[in-house]
Amino acid sequence: MKKTVLVLLGLLLAFSALAFGQGYATMPADAKIIPLGEAGTPYADAQLGVRGGTFYCATISDPKKWNDVTAHETSTTDYTGLMLRGLVTTNPVTVALEPELAKSWDVSEDGLTITFHLRQGLKWSDGEPFTADDVIFSYNDLYLNEDVETDTRDVLQLPDGSFPVVTKVDDYTVQVTTSVVFRPILNSMAANILPKHALAKYVHKLNPDVPVGTFNSCWGLDTDPSELVGMGPFIVESYAPDQNVVMRRNPYYYHYDSNGVQLPYFDKRVVLTVPNQDVSLLKFRNGELDATGIRPTDVPILKSEEAQKDFTVLVNPDLPNYGTSWIGINEDIGLAEGTHDNERALFRTRDFRAALAHLVDKQAIIDTLYNGLAVPQWSPVSYLSPFYAGRDYYGGPVTEKDAVIFDYSLDKAAALLDGIGIVDRDGDGWRDYEDGTRVEIEINTNAGNTLREGVCLIVADRAAKVGLKLNFVPVDFNTLVNKLFASTGELIVLGLTGGPEPNNGANVYRSTGGLHFWHYSAADNPTELEKKIDALLDAGVSTLDNDKAFEIYKEYQITLAKDDLGLVYTVNPSFTYAYYNRVGNANIASPVATPTGNNGLTMDICYFK
Amino acid sequence: MKLTGLRALVVVMSVVALLSVVGLGANLESIASNEIVPEISAAAGMALADSYAATMTEADLEALAVNGRTIGLRTAASEALAIQYRDKTEDEIMAILKGTADPMIRAAAIGPAVVYLASVTSDAEDFKLTDYLKDIAINGETHEMKLAAAKAYYFVSRRSLKAADLEEQAVTNDSDELAYAAGEVLAGFYLSFNPKTQAELEDLAINGSSEGLRVAGEIALSSLLIKSDLTALDFETTLLSIAGTKSAEYRGAYKIALANRYEQ
Repeated sequence: MKKTVLVLLGLLLAFSALAFGQGYATMPADAKIIPLGEAGTPYADAQLGVRGGTFYCATISDPKKWNDVTAHETSTTDYTGLMLRGLVTTNPVTVALEPELAKSWDVSEDGLTITFHLRQGLKWSDGEPFTADDVIFSYNDLYLNEDVETDTRDVLQLPDGSFPVVTKVDDYTVQVTTSVVFRPILNSMAANILPKHALAKYVHKLNPDVPVGTFNSCWGLDTDPSELVGMGPFIVESYAPDQNVVMRRNPYYYHYDSNGVQLPYFDKRVVLTVPNQDVSLLKFRNGELDATGIRPTDVPILKSEEAQKDFTVLVNPDLPNYGTSWIGINEDIGLAEGTHDNERALFRTRDFRAALAHLVDKQAIIDTLYNGLAVPQWSPVSYLSPFYAGRDYYGGPVTEKDAVIFDYSLDKAAALLDGIGIVDRDGDGWRDYEDGTRVEIEINTNAGNTLREGVCLIVADRAAKVGLKLNFVPVDFNTLVNKLFASTGELIVLGLTGGPEPNNGANVYRSTGGLHFWHYSAADNPTELEKKIDALLDAGVSTLDNDKAFEIYKEYQITLAKDDLGLVYTVNPSFTYAYYNRVGNANIASPVATPTGNNGLTMDICYFK
Repeated sequence: MKLTGLRALVVVMSVVALLSVVGLGANLESIASNEIVPEISAAAGMALADSYAATMTEADLEALAVNGRTIGLRTAASEALAIQYRDKTEDEIMAILKGTADPMIRAAAIGPAVVYLASVTSDAEDFKLTDYLKDIAINGETHEMKLAAAKAYYFVSRRSLKAADLEEQAVTNDSDELAYAAGEVLAGFYLSFNPKTQAELEDLAINGSSEGLRVAGEIALSSLLIKSDLTALDFETTLLSIAGTKSAEYRGAYKIALANRYEQ
């Protein structure tokens, strides 16, 4: 009798586990092992953790939907990025591309076919099996389906205008074939994979009973969270508008630590909606949040409480955020109007641009405007990119041995200006053109941005020391953007966002690029240098070998920084972050990945000590 | 200079009495209940706040904050209330701050009030949050109301602050509360962008020409002490030896550091 009762009890428990999706009975053979604490790996500085607890963070905007495919905003993808995964991903420490839902891939000799071998035995968060059908569905029926409104289709498009062909070989093998070799296509395979079994019913192509475009409005905020399915570490459990989103651990997540403990470590993740960043910081100080992103200017006010409240203000003065900050020199000034001939000729002279580069006192900018929390910039490619030319090789350490540095030097700036005939011809202390007209250049940035205004003032001050007159005129942001795109500005101080993939800057640096704002006329008449840059951009995407691509992009960066100088780079703010010391592994937060889920990546390796 | 006579006897007896309390096995409530050295009592109280907040009612805490027989017990209650008050509405918090409650209760409302005050918005065209907060920091109904507004003012202004400006404002300001709050933020600069040595911070905490400057020294020094290898016993011994001497802010730095050790 006792034995019968025990057997029945065991069956009941097993049934309950199955009914409520309690996860894998044993670790899948194809699980992704995260080598926490292992020397020689990107996770050498991380610790093995323990499961449990609810992690609290904040955001200033609610999601707009749960539909990752049609999302245009980070307020949505901050959540969908935690619910879903792609075939590949970027390592949250090194930023290098690595396997995710695909455990490996092979590239054909001609570089036109990539065969992805999927991890086997994995399940969606609702317990349904993950197979190649989900990959085919995601690409052929969603991303490449013109009925679906998705930005992802743009990044899948090949240079010749065609799209990759995605085919199923077997239940765990998918092939991606392109018409031309296109290296970034591998990055594009980081696009999230969606569950066919849960979403096919909304796609007209697969279910003619629904109108065309139905998918575009599915998985909205009114969807019962129990219908949301993913492969990522967390799944939405509940949503209270203007209050919070609660996410629970995905019982079928396939990341495990090297002790065989399934990740993520946190049971739940709660994101509070707050009205602004000030409130977020206040809640952090009150202990209501476990971690938060901060700006360099927040450092002092937190430092005074750091020890007493047992949190860490993570300041890495040598690690900049993604993006670029620069002075744009308009080489088309007056071209359309038939004016500004002197300026245009001057701006098109390389040595003038080099002189300006020598006048950017980066250390003064770092010390006085950023309190030391900024990094000098010289390259168009973000410091964090594995292709950054300051590295020794693809994904390698940053040594800056090949960096192109225009040191702050009044003498060098003066010598270059002298050399191009820009000298003081009337003894008034200001340099003049050859026709005797004074060189007087307007430098703009957006009014109210105190950091950029400060940069303009410092550069104008240093220029005055060598007799070059720069007039700083702050303007409102829309006016500034109009000046940029209409080629009516002279010198403009602004910035661009960045990422790990250099080709994503092609629309800026290619002579025909839509954001090649300092020399739009190059689209019809590129210089030899611009032709070289275009050729390097083409070459960079035409090899699937990242090491070869690194050498190509190194030459590209050095060419732009040393010879082109269409943009003179200034400094990039350092990465700053704050977290309570009870959060293990938060110490390896970086601009790439933070516990609060920056850039759609999350440190699912964080835990409560 | 040597201690002589009765004074020496009192100190020795105090040390013996206190060491018997803080010795191995003494719990925080015992320490908090002993006021021989107020800073040690208060440190224990600070360390008790979390557990009191979790186990006692608001009414009991309010009674203890007012009537607790030692500074340690009153501190424990006040800081526990500050944790519980986080769930109160803005109107409730402001009513406490502006009202006639005991200062220990009003003090508990300062932290939550800063959150509300820093988030104030207005549709009025010429509304400036910093002006609004400064006005309250000068003219608020109670010291605690003014202090909450002063803290909020400096929080909202943080991005434009420089150490040199704060050093002036910690001495001369439109209200004592603004000078105090300036000192609190200044401490953070001394720990980051404008670092000072421990010796400099000790001197500032003792000899700073204003309360604001001494508070800057106190907070920054406490941070260095917490990060040091010094133990609770080290801090207790120091507090015993400087009891009633140096400055309140210098003793306060050791109090904060000791509280940290008690919490571990």
